[in-house]
Amino acid sequence: MDTSSPAVFANAELIKMYTGRRVRAVVQVIRNEGGVLVGKSTDGQQLTVKGSPAFPLSHFVEVIGIADGNQSIRAEISTDLGENFDAVAYDGLCQLANGKHRKLFL
Amino acid sequence: MTNSVTPGAISMLLANPSPDSSSEIPEIVVQVVDLKPIGSSTTRFTFMASDGKMKIKAMLPTHFASEIHSGNLQNLGLIRILDYTCNSIPNQPDKALIVTKCEVVCPALETEIKSEVKEETGIVLKPKQEMVAKSAAQIVREQRGNAAPAARMAMTRRVHPLVSLNPYQGNWTIKVRVTNKGNLRTYKNAKGEGHVFNVELTDEDGTQIQATMFNEAANKFYPTFELGKVYYISKGSLKVANKQFRTVANDYEMTLNENSIVEEADGEGAFIPETKFNFVKIDQLGTYVNGRELVDIIGVVQNVSSTLSIRRKSNNDTIPKRDITIADDSNKTVVVSLWNELATDIGQQLLDTVDSAPVVAIKSLKVGDFQGVSLSSVSKSKVLINPDLPEAKKLRAWFDSEGKGTSMASVGSGFSALSKNGAKSMYSDRVLLSHITNDQTLGQDKPVFFSIKGYISFIKSDQTMSYRACKTCNKKVTEAIGSGYWCEACQKNDDECSLRYIMVVKVSDHSGEAWLSVFNEQAEKIIGCTADELNRIKSEEGDDKYQLKLKEATWVPHLFRVSVAQTEYMNEKRQRITVRAHAPLDCSAESRYLLEEIAKMSLS
Repeated sequence: MDTSSPAVFANAELIKMYTGRRVRAVVQVIRNEGGVLVGKSTDGQQLTVKGSPAFPLSHFVEVIGIADGNQSIRAEISTDLGENFDAVAYDGLCQLANGKHRKLFL
Repeated sequence: MTNSVTPGAISMLLANPSPDSSSEIPEIVVQVVDLKPIGSSTTRFTFMASDGKMKIKAMLPTHFASEIHSGNLQNLGLIRILDYTCNSIPNQPDKALIVTKCEVVCPALETEIKSEVKEETGIVLKPKQEMVAKSAAQIVREQRGNAAPAARMAMTRRVHPLVSLNPYQGNWTIKVRVTNKGNLRTYKNAKGEGHVFNVELTDEDGTQIQATMFNEAANKFYPTFELGKVYYISKGSLKVANKQFRTVANDYEMTLNENSIVEEADGEGAFIPETKFNFVKIDQLGTYVNGRELVDIIGVVQNVSSTLSIRRKSNNDTIPKRDITIADDSNKTVVVSLWNELATDIGQQLLDTVDSAPVVAIKSLKVGDFQGVSLSSVSKSKVLINPDLPEAKKLRAWFDSEGKGTSMASVGSGFSALSKNGAKSMYSDRVLLSHITNDQTLGQDKPVFFSIKGYISFIKSDQTMSYRACKTCNKKVTEAIGSGYWCEACQKNDDECSLRYIMVVKVSDHSGEAWLSVFNEQAEKIIGCTADELNRIKSEEGDDKYQLKLKEATWVPHLFRVSVAQTEYMNEKRQRITVRAHAPLDCSAESRYLLEEIAKMSLS
């Protein structure tokens, strides 16, 4: 298992902190435009995912990739999580993983 | 000029034991205490010279004896020391003050002057004091006083530690402090009427025991015992404590009758131990519902009802009761029922001040399940209004900033109606397995209910998993003579019966593990098939498939609603945990619950 560059649990807010680093975020698909996916992140803000295939609208997708500037990720791996997803719980996880308990994750 | 001693006089005297001339001596006024003649002499007097803080053994000059005879100087009087020496006494650590020249300042004061250790200047007259710095001589004297008792009293004064008392040894004396005094209550039972009251006694080692007095003894000793004072007690009787009424951690309890001897120990300062609180937040009360443990809470009073009179069923007595609503920073409210004096006195005080939202701390409340969660006062409950505790200040700050505006829900509303679909109520009274297994007294009188989340860790494959059950009423059937099965309850024979699960499974969570008894409905969900089906697999498909089925059920997480009760099995008390309801693990709800718990952890 390659643990050289772990992906940080992030939402739109936290992506700004990790520009250039590998992150993972869950977005709910709003629209698909060519090779770009526009979604709503778990904290309600908009995120753009470049280089990702299209996914059905309103599905939740987990994107692992490099944070690239403001509000966008260059996707490496995308996974469809379906329609049932608890965004609030995931967001709570992001807060904890980047706050008090960072050492557990990075 | 003030009629008082010179502070630090004794130290001054000791610092300069042999002054050369009287001009060197500063103004020194001491109080004469314990003035008595030496032996049968009329001219030589000894006393303790006191400056309010220290005392030193001293002797008066012989020419001064006339002052004593004339009454110019009496015990508790003040003298100014004009010339003196301090001599060492052989075999004693202290020095003695030989006064060679002095004059009377004041013949006699009301009491001995004692100053507080804290004060720098000025001496405060106090009739009873806490710790006073004593000279070595005084301490030695006191210790000797305790060891040579025979002269004083007829009974053996050798004090036994409370921990050594037992019902088979009658001749003991204990020296204890009253740390709690109950009220004098009247009762009526099959034998008639009576009064009773009890006290909680603590000795020097910290051991506690409860002492009860009935009727004449109660009347005799009720005025004698005072909270905080120390007594010598003997001729009481001991018996094994009745767990139902036990409030104190001791296997024995004491009864005093009219022949018992209770004597106040003088010289011991009255020390009322500070009430120690162990507060529980209102939203944590769920786990204590119907348990034996009494809780302490602290909160802001939001509402005070008027006094109601409740009629007691047993003897038609009317008792006053008042309900107050309390809120704390867990953003929940709870109703506390105050009874008797607490309702009338404290309750009235709270009613008068309710607009100022006073903070109230209450010790020893029983947790009931009326309207979900309710608190009720017992005879030993103590209420403090606006206490000087750090928790009180924190609550005050919280209330003034947020609490005032927030509308808070009653903690009980979360517990109403245990729904069949356990999902929602699986979060009320959520505890860890260790909470249940660590307290073996849970569910002694009435079973207590909890929610738990755990993983099935082990199912014994060689246990009796099921029983033969009647198809109609589900009760156990016996094999009838001939063929078929006989159901005792339905009083009929049936050719067929169904198998219903009755088994124990081992469940684990991160805190520990426990064996749970599971009945048919829940077992079906755990194993994933009916008892009949499982039996079929065992007999037709072979043991391997059977084991596999059990294995598939292991390490699956579940949410359970369980009841905990204490049962006796072959004269041994066992804790029996039974599953009442089951729900599959809902990851989303569970995640939210965990997030909440994590947030709570970081606050505390």
